[in-house]
Amino acid sequence: MQPGGRASSPTARRVPDLTANAKGAIEDLADVERVLAGDAQAFEGIVRRWQGPLVNMAWRYCRDRGRAEDLAQEAFLRAWRGLANWRRESSFSTWLFALAANVFRSELKRFPTVNLPLDAAPEPSRPAVQHNALAEQLSHEAVRRAVLALPLRYREPVVLYYFYEMDVAAAAATMRLPEGTVKARLSRARALLRRRFPHLEAEYAAMEFTALTIGKEASN
Amino acid sequence: MKPTKTDRTEPDRTERIEMEIERILATEDELVPSSGFLTSVMESVRQEAALPPPIPFPWKWAAPGILLATGVFGWGCFELVHLGLPAVSAIPDAPLHLSATVERSLEATEWVAVALGASLLSWLLSRRLAGRSGLF
Repeated sequence: MQPGGRASSPTARRVPDLTANAKGAIEDLADVERVLAGDAQAFEGIVRRWQGPLVNMAWRYCRDRGRAEDLAQEAFLRAWRGLANWRRESSFSTWLFALAANVFRSELKRFPTVNLPLDAAPEPSRPAVQHNALAEQLSHEAVRRAVLALPLRYREPVVLYYFYEMDVAAAAATMRLPEGTVKARLSRARALLRRRFPHLEAEYAAMEFTALTIGKEASN
Repeated sequence: MKPTKTDRTEPDRTERIEMEIERILATEDELVPSSGFLTSVMESVRQEAALPPPIPFPWKWAAPGILLATGVFGWGCFELVHLGLPAVSAIPDAPLHLSATVERSLEATEWVAVALGASLLSWLLSRRLAGRSGLF
């Protein structure tokens, strides 16, 4: 995940910008040193660079925009208080995300979001038949909300895996769990979601059909 | 064994649903933090920075008390074993009519137990107070 908030665009696997990452890492280190030397204002650079990723991460944990910002703010405050604990063994982002995940987890345990049980999560109503953008949007939102209805041990791997653009290693590092455990939990979570949304197969078929039709039309 | 029609189609179906779930979860729009977010975070940070540092635990003053409590606790343990064991071993000999010596020992044991309880409570209380100051 790269620092900086982005305008809304689908997060299909992005090509990592190594130059930007390296530059960001150097800036993070410089800002941390300045904060530790007593310049509280230098923390602004860190917040500016990481506000987008942290708010988005929190959003995936609770799907409530206001709460996501509150959670992200709490994570930044904890980071500020514990900046001296970052031992430089891992990158600043790894440390920050692990800390944020801990904050989100404990805060959501203290004040849970109102979630329906997985079985009560609304099922999409055959969008393949309806063929309209709104139905598809609603169906997608139902799937995303169903993730929050998963038990916590399965929910968190799903949230972090897709937040990190399908990077198991990064998700495992944030949760401080072995990669194998994360993979097993992801697989179990997918099975639970699959059972909840059997009609998604029709949507997938419709999508494939549309892609084929567009492809044919383009070739003609 | 020849696979049935269901056997052949079921993995396909499972795979398709999972691919669709994968596609949905992987294509989520990103939120842009609200315009006041940065200001709000920095305001909280400045407030925290302006707070005086937490008062350190007064070890200098607490040390004699802690030492005393430890001593009392140790003495209590010693007395408990010292007085309690003969009393317990004497019980089977006279289950109904306790001798005066045993009764005195038991009474002393009770007091030692009370003293131990009080020491434990005071230790827990001081630990709790120290915890608030951020030491634990």
